[in-house]
Amino acid sequence: MAKPLDHKTATDVELVAASQAGDMVAFEELVARHRDKIYARAFSMMRNEEEAIDLAQEAWVKAWQRLKQFQGDSSFATWMTRIVINLCLDQLRRQKRTRAESIEQLDEELGGVERQMPVVASNPTEGLERAELRKRIDKAMVQLSYEHRTVLILHEFEEMEYKQIAKVMNCSIGTVMSRLFYARRRLASLLQSLKKEQQS
Amino acid sequence: MNIELKLQALVDGELDAREVREVEALLARDEFASLLVQELKWTKSAVRHSEAGVALPETREFFWSKVERGIAAEARNQAAPAASVAPAWWTKLLFPASGLAAMVAVLFVMSGPRSSSDDALNENVAEDINAYSFHSEAEKMSVVYVSDENADFSPVGQEVKNETEAEK
Repeated sequence: MAKPLDHKTATDVELVAASQAGDMVAFEELVARHRDKIYARAFSMMRNEEEAIDLAQEAWVKAWQRLKQFQGDSSFATWMTRIVINLCLDQLRRQKRTRAESIEQLDEELGGVERQMPVVASNPTEGLERAELRKRIDKAMVQLSYEHRTVLILHEFEEMEYKQIAKVMNCSIGTVMSRLFYARRRLASLLQSLKKEQQS
Repeated sequence: MNIELKLQALVDGELDAREVREVEALLARDEFASLLVQELKWTKSAVRHSEAGVALPETREFFWSKVERGIAAEARNQAAPAASVAPAWWTKLLFPASGLAAMVAVLFVMSGPRSSSDDALNENVAEDINAYSFHSEAEKMSVVYVSDENADFSPVGQEVKNETEAEK
């Protein structure tokens, strides 16, 4: 007779297999283990607590429905993160359609603005404590458009290659490279401004 | 690909060996390119090490209860259209039955003229005895006329609520 699954000590692979067989308790354990990471990703993209909670919840509901499609090619956490990223992108695209584009955003889309920015010659984050670094990056990220923020998140946090980002964001590799370049240059400029503000 | 994007691709490790050699040769002779690569590296490193450990601001139980309700609601939503999509067996007969009904109605209309006004029905009961009846559903009334030898019709009975005098 098969040994009953101890949900607390079971691996993700075991919990996924049990969930695929309809074990809701196993799925609850997966939610408990990964809920913070999924919420954090939603929050980093949406910059809004309520929306991030709703989208994280929606991602878990979707995951349960699609659980049979999960083949284990990547880790469960990676698979879940892709689900929440796609939901966030859908939501951000919907919001963008209803929002007037600023002139700056149009400039960003057309490209070229980043080339006019002077190069930041000294490291704007040098000597910062981790908490302070997070705070400043967070402040600067809010000022980026969602396309630029997302491309940074996918590249730096999710460690995706250009072609993977292009697939997720449904755009060309060239667009990914331009957006990433603009996002980094703008971020460097914003971080330098924050450093100057702090010093003065 | 323009040179700035090539410099960035170098930082991200997205160039092949030949391109790496080309860009590195450029960096050796172009100070602006070197400074730009340095800036890109700083930003990349700063962002990569700044992922905030944000925790979901809801308890495990409360969040799970919402997820559970969401799962149940989705299951209901999927079950409801499935039930309405599968038609009952008798609905398959609706189209032929309605066609048949339409044909019967057409045949009935075409089968002969009927004189009527309102919902009244005039009927010659039996021509050889010179009797004539009148019935109106709207008036809830039936009248029977019988002719005398002069062929003058006069009512011999009248009743309300569809009862004829003869039946009484």
